Amino acid sequence: MLLTLALLLLSDKPMPIFPYAYQEHTLDNGLRVILIPMESPGLVSYHTVVRTGSRDEVEPGKTGFAHFFEHMMFRGTEKYPGPVYDGLMTQMGIDANAYTTDDRTVYHLDFTAEDLEKVIELESDRFQNLSYKEADFQTEAGAVYGEYRKSITSPFSVLFESVSNLAYDKHTYKHTTIGFEEDIKAMPQQFEYSKGFFKRFYRPDNCVIVVTGDFKPEQTLSWIKQYYGGWQKGYQAPQVVPEPEQTAERRGEVQFNGKTLPILYMGYKTPAFNPRDKASVATFALGELFFGSNSDLYKDIYLEKQWVNFVSYDASQNRDPGLFSIYSMVKDPANIEKVQAAIDAAVKSAQDQPVTSVKLDGVKKRIKYGLLMDMNTPGEVAESLDTPLAVEPSIKGFEAFFSTLQQLEPADLQAAAKAFFQTQRRTVVVLKGAQ
Amino acid sequence: MLILMMSLMTLTAEGDMQTQLLPVANDPVVSIRIWFKVGSMNDPAGKEGLANLTAALLSEGSTQKNGYAQILEKLYPLAAGYSCDASMEMTVFKGQAHVDAFEEYYPLFKEALLFPAFKQDDLDRLKSEALNYLENSLRYSSDEELGKAVLLQEMYKGTGYAHPIAGTIESLKSINLIDIKTFYQTWFTQENMVIGMAGGYKPEWVDVLKKDLKAMPSGKPAQAKAPVPAAYQGFPVTLIEKDTASTAISMGFPLDVLRGEKDWYALAIANSWLGEHRNSSSHLYNVIREKRGLNYGDYSYIEYYPNGGRRTKPPQNVGRHNQLFEIWIRPVPNEARHFALRAALREFDHLVDHGMTQEDFDLTRSFLKKYVLHYAPTSDERLAYQLDDRFYGLDHAHLETFRKMMDSLTLADVNAAIKKHWHKGNFRIAVITKDAASFKQALVENTPSPITYPTPKPQEILDEDKQIEVYPIPVKAEDVHIIPVNELFISTKR
Repeated sequence: MLLTLALLLLSDKPMPIFPYAYQEHTLDNGLRVILIPMESPGLVSYHTVVRTGSRDEVEPGKTGFAHFFEHMMFRGTEKYPGPVYDGLMTQMGIDANAYTTDDRTVYHLDFTAEDLEKVIELESDRFQNLSYKEADFQTEAGAVYGEYRKSITSPFSVLFESVSNLAYDKHTYKHTTIGFEEDIKAMPQQFEYSKGFFKRFYRPDNCVIVVTGDFKPEQTLSWIKQYYGGWQKGYQAPQVVPEPEQTAERRGEVQFNGKTLPILYMGYKTPAFNPRDKASVATFALGELFFGSNSDLYKDIYLEKQWVNFVSYDASQNRDPGLFSIYSMVKDPANIEKVQAAIDAAVKSAQDQPVTSVKLDGVKKRIKYGLLMDMNTPGEVAESLDTPLAVEPSIKGFEAFFSTLQQLEPADLQAAAKAFFQTQRRTVVVLKGAQ
Repeated sequence: MLILMMSLMTLTAEGDMQTQLLPVANDPVVSIRIWFKVGSMNDPAGKEGLANLTAALLSEGSTQKNGYAQILEKLYPLAAGYSCDASMEMTVFKGQAHVDAFEEYYPLFKEALLFPAFKQDDLDRLKSEALNYLENSLRYSSDEELGKAVLLQEMYKGTGYAHPIAGTIESLKSINLIDIKTFYQTWFTQENMVIGMAGGYKPEWVDVLKKDLKAMPSGKPAQAKAPVPAAYQGFPVTLIEKDTASTAISMGFPLDVLRGEKDWYALAIANSWLGEHRNSSSHLYNVIREKRGLNYGDYSYIEYYPNGGRRTKPPQNVGRHNQLFEIWIRPVPNEARHFALRAALREFDHLVDHGMTQEDFDLTRSFLKKYVLHYAPTSDERLAYQLDDRFYGLDHAHLETFRKMMDSLTLADVNAAIKKHWHKGNFRIAVITKDAASFKQALVENTPSPITYPTPKPQEILDEDKQIEVYPIPVKAEDVHIIPVNELFISTKR
């Protein structure tokens, strides 16, 4: 089956569909369920995508709370208190974890097919009946602070904290997912707030369940209806303040408390990600062609002149206007301006002249092959959906991205570059290390 | 019927060219792994980092046919690539491509391995990156990785395991193209490699690969024995002075058990209970993080486990013939460093003294029997495990043995293995911290180390804390060394 679909995908026809057959269901309470049976003898992957992340932390002093709450979801319920829950997960040898980003919190479990019903029961129980004591809540805050401490020794953590803070004034993307240090320190006092957080956001109409691997769809759907059916809808969307249009370039410098080569960051504001919008999808192709590992810029400043240790990019897939980021580690501080000039020249090139069809076709081909090679295990398939499901709670969004990508013409890229790569939409930050 | 059972493994040895094959029908990916029996252990004295730099030049440098920029251009639309990873005793050149793109991809893979150009500008670029890693990233970007590197440096001082795989700052600077070419000719030989292929490949591709690789250099390099660390007693402590708000701790001792031996699987059960990597089932995690909130996690290991912060499952193709037991305490506030160290050692000592309980034993073996199924979900990873089986000289696949052992081992087996291989009072300790002198004094004087919590704690925790805060660690003043962070990794002659 895989091979047939692969051949279909690699043909010159427009990108048709997701590479596996799938079912999408919406329960009466609004819970969306995506079932993707695939060849994976004995193994299943189970993701719950909560469409809430640090973007939803709208109240002052609550930055980092979505991530903190992710930790609390492992503290048990009345039926299965924390130690009992942990014991069951251990008994079943489940590979379970979770993560939080700007727009989502994802709980993911890999396990053997024979444990599927028990996993559904346990997951449905904690999403409906989470219960923890204030003392446990306060202790977990210490672990979160520990996570902050171990991460902040990286210059990239310091850089991205600074970039978010400078690039945004009103929108919650102003803070990183882990939050401001002072808010993390104050988390133990937020016990009451945490209960409201659970009630507002951990609702079926704000979640998507993805099951991939070796299972029977009808039986699985029946279990999901049985165990999640009583979950009451009631998601309350937060009032996220839109970021005002940026009207002038922002520049900053940040010091890292340790030695590092300087890192140059340049970010352009891009609109909310829309997989059906050519300009939005074009940013990915622009990234590949002008700032990626096959770009002229990469060959110039990394391979030939060797001014930098790397140059890379990141196109935003955020629900709200995000940043198209270009970053580079510069070997000699004296060359920072030259590197920026080279990046500026790449930006100008993207705006001034259309790329060749051959180059654009190369990007389309790479993304197709990449998709097929990265979706071979249940875990990989479920993981590939985490990001798109936060933007749109259906595989249709994932498919739309690839469909739009296939339709892109060189002029679309040029138009997107002109629209988005404007100096007044830009934030530039240079991180420097201690001498 | 589970995924491990479906691995169709074939094993051949034709003359000196050894092959490990793992065909998987319908797999859209083809993977190749060429294992060379060489690693940083084989770096010549004064040229530490040579194995790693040679590997980097093979996979990130020009070939005689194409400049590196051209190679990237050709690989790009195929979404394919190759890399070469040097570890301490193993170096693996590996690549992956979609089955439909393989025939277009393969010549690039082959040329990189057979016809490297070894150009000066490629060497300059890659050497500069390795130097930046040692001078900046390893010293200043992750105290956790730094702690582990310092532990290895001290544990294996004077041996080929001691220096970082990237080398040292002075040795890296001395490496030139002649060194690289000589190392390649000596170690990357057809007699010193095992060819591995997995996934949806056509059988004839194996023949082509084997035929082509006969053009690799020829020779049987003399293999050195794995290093044996110097014996020591007590608690040698290396404190790295660094301006940091948190303290990272790694500690361990040499372990005389390798996978394949019954005791290894017995210790795997004990170790999983004590400190399963990145898992809340870890007992150390439970004591230090879950109950006390002192840090992000606490784990233990019976095999070398590089880059633990970036992975959740054991790495492949980093085999070593000398292993260590290791405890990893993720950064704790500086004021809790002594307490956290005591808490971890106290739990370890308790396990050695009392062994596992029947209940913990039953739960842990049930966990591992299923959990190991997640270790190698792709054909490429299963191939990597098969190469590791060869490295350790195993007749039976390690992961299958692992699962079978979970059924056959008894609690008595596990507790006997703990008694035999784990000993109290013999840890080398590496600590990244601020104001190391005051910590040295506290360690040597065994000063009580009470901690306070920002929030109330149950009485049972506070009662246990009273025991932890005075738990004795007999550290002698002459066994404690303080090294400023900027003096690390300069050369092996510190």
